[in-house]
Amino acid sequence: MAEGFDIDHLAKLARLSLTAEEKALYSSQLNQILGHFQALAEADLPATIDDARVVNEAALRSDEPGPVLGAEAVTRIAPASRDGQISVPRVVDDES
Amino acid sequence: MADALHTLSAAELGRRLAAGTLTSRALCEALIARYQAVNETVGAFTYLDQADVLAQADASDARRKAGQGRGPLEGIPVAIKDNIAVKGQPLTCSSKMLASLVSPYDSHVAERLRAAGAILYGRLNMDEFAMGSSTENSAIRKTFNPWDLARIPGGSSGGSAAALAAGLVPLSLGSDTGGSIRQPASHCGVVGLKPTYGLISRFGLVAFASSLDQIGPMARSIEDCELLLNALSSADGRDMTCFGPSDRTLTPAGDAKKLRIGIPKGFLGKGVAPEVAAAVNAAVEFYRAQGCAISEVELPSADLAVPTYYVVATAEASSNLGRYDGVRYGHRSASAGTPVEMMTASRSEGFGPEVKRRILLGTFVLSAGYADAYYVRALRARAKIRSEYLAALAGVDVLLTPTVPTPAFKVGEKASDPLQLYLEDIFTIPANLAGLPAISVPCGKSGHLPVGFHLVGAPLSEAKLLAAGRLFETAHGFAHQQAAL
Repeated sequence: MAEGFDIDHLAKLARLSLTAEEKALYSSQLNQILGHFQALAEADLPATIDDARVVNEAALRSDEPGPVLGAEAVTRIAPASRDGQISVPRVVDDES
Repeated sequence: MADALHTLSAAELGRRLAAGTLTSRALCEALIARYQAVNETVGAFTYLDQADVLAQADASDARRKAGQGRGPLEGIPVAIKDNIAVKGQPLTCSSKMLASLVSPYDSHVAERLRAAGAILYGRLNMDEFAMGSSTENSAIRKTFNPWDLARIPGGSSGGSAAALAAGLVPLSLGSDTGGSIRQPASHCGVVGLKPTYGLISRFGLVAFASSLDQIGPMARSIEDCELLLNALSSADGRDMTCFGPSDRTLTPAGDAKKLRIGIPKGFLGKGVAPEVAAAVNAAVEFYRAQGCAISEVELPSADLAVPTYYVVATAEASSNLGRYDGVRYGHRSASAGTPVEMMTASRSEGFGPEVKRRILLGTFVLSAGYADAYYVRALRARAKIRSEYLAALAGVDVLLTPTVPTPAFKVGEKASDPLQLYLEDIFTIPANLAGLPAISVPCGKSGHLPVGFHLVGAPLSEAKLLAAGRLFETAHGFAHQQAAL
């Protein structure tokens, strides 16, 4: 069931950079875990999927503005900020 | 006060506070002394602001003196797992990713505890992002089982259970995605309840797997567990899965001696340690002697629970943990190049091995070409497991099994074998998949190590689970157990 398992592709999708040792370890462990999942492939299952709800209540609230964290509280926990805004590495090159 | 305050129940402490024979300050000072004496050995807490605790205690004593006490938890310390937000306190999830994060807001449960007059008492160690069954995955420190310091306390709420068993605090909060309250409760000889999905708001709980996560109370007795549950349970529009005011009525407890108890066929067989099976069988015989109707029930898809859980939980985790990108909060790598390089480096430096393993697994089961074979089939299996549990619970009031197949293992014993660790959760996972309430109740020892049994009930049957637990606890004296330290 784990055919086509490509650790480099997965790491790229997950935005993780793995060392060669990590790749070997995780590949081996994930293959073992996926082998345990074989029971799912063989089981006789219903066509319906589970939506994880216990009580079928319409739990949507009205779409109205409520209290939010202010800029000061948000920038205080940000890794880097300037002039009340979160700063990040340059996204657009200004030389073009 | 000669009788050590750290050995008393929350209910008894509440009575003394109400009678005026104890102040919250005296209680907190005694618990801080206990913390200084044993926390380094046990490792349950990762943070305790002693000045803040004493300020909260003084405020509580002042309220009580002014006749403005807020109820049975007024002045009682409640320690909190480090994935539940308390304004102004660390919120690390025991991860390097959030090592420097101080929460800018209160979770719903923290608001409820403040409204009840409780003292928000420190941060408890856990497996990183609640991923694990031993608390060995904490990036901050190890926590040890107070009954045997060479062994794990369970996890992921290992700090929450160990703090109770070590007499560090009378009440604690945990979170439970696949057994993370009940498994450490069993290993540490305390009571842990995972409520019905939707009973307690998760607003302010750091998300792991949102269709499974619940916050729940942990204590050294059923009475204390119920006290804390009552304080936490209320409607909250900020968690759309939280029941509204009209839908949260608990089924009445009824007479515990008339409970119909189902024993799932085959659950006491393969893989269960003999001493665990013996303790759980003795509990079954106790209930039979009390007049409860005991019957065997069929749960034919039980073997699918572990694979179903590890597909659903890791899929949701890979999505939920996508938010840790080094931009808005959390760790940002100093080796930032382009934004994508910065995100990749931040995540690679910030997450520990088990979190990376689960993100990779979740990414795989959701990826193009594999989602139908894994994720969609897991959702279909989940529907089957849920329908089998609900069908079984139509004929009985509760299902009784061990909480964990074996007693607490030695630190490091299973660290290199993730699949073996995942099988620790074999009895607890179905309640999360089906959204059902479940409780672990201490029922004896295997040698010197605590053993618990596990009860699962229909949605909103928490009062029945507590009543069943109370009947057993009262007859056996397993309440208020503490390890000698």
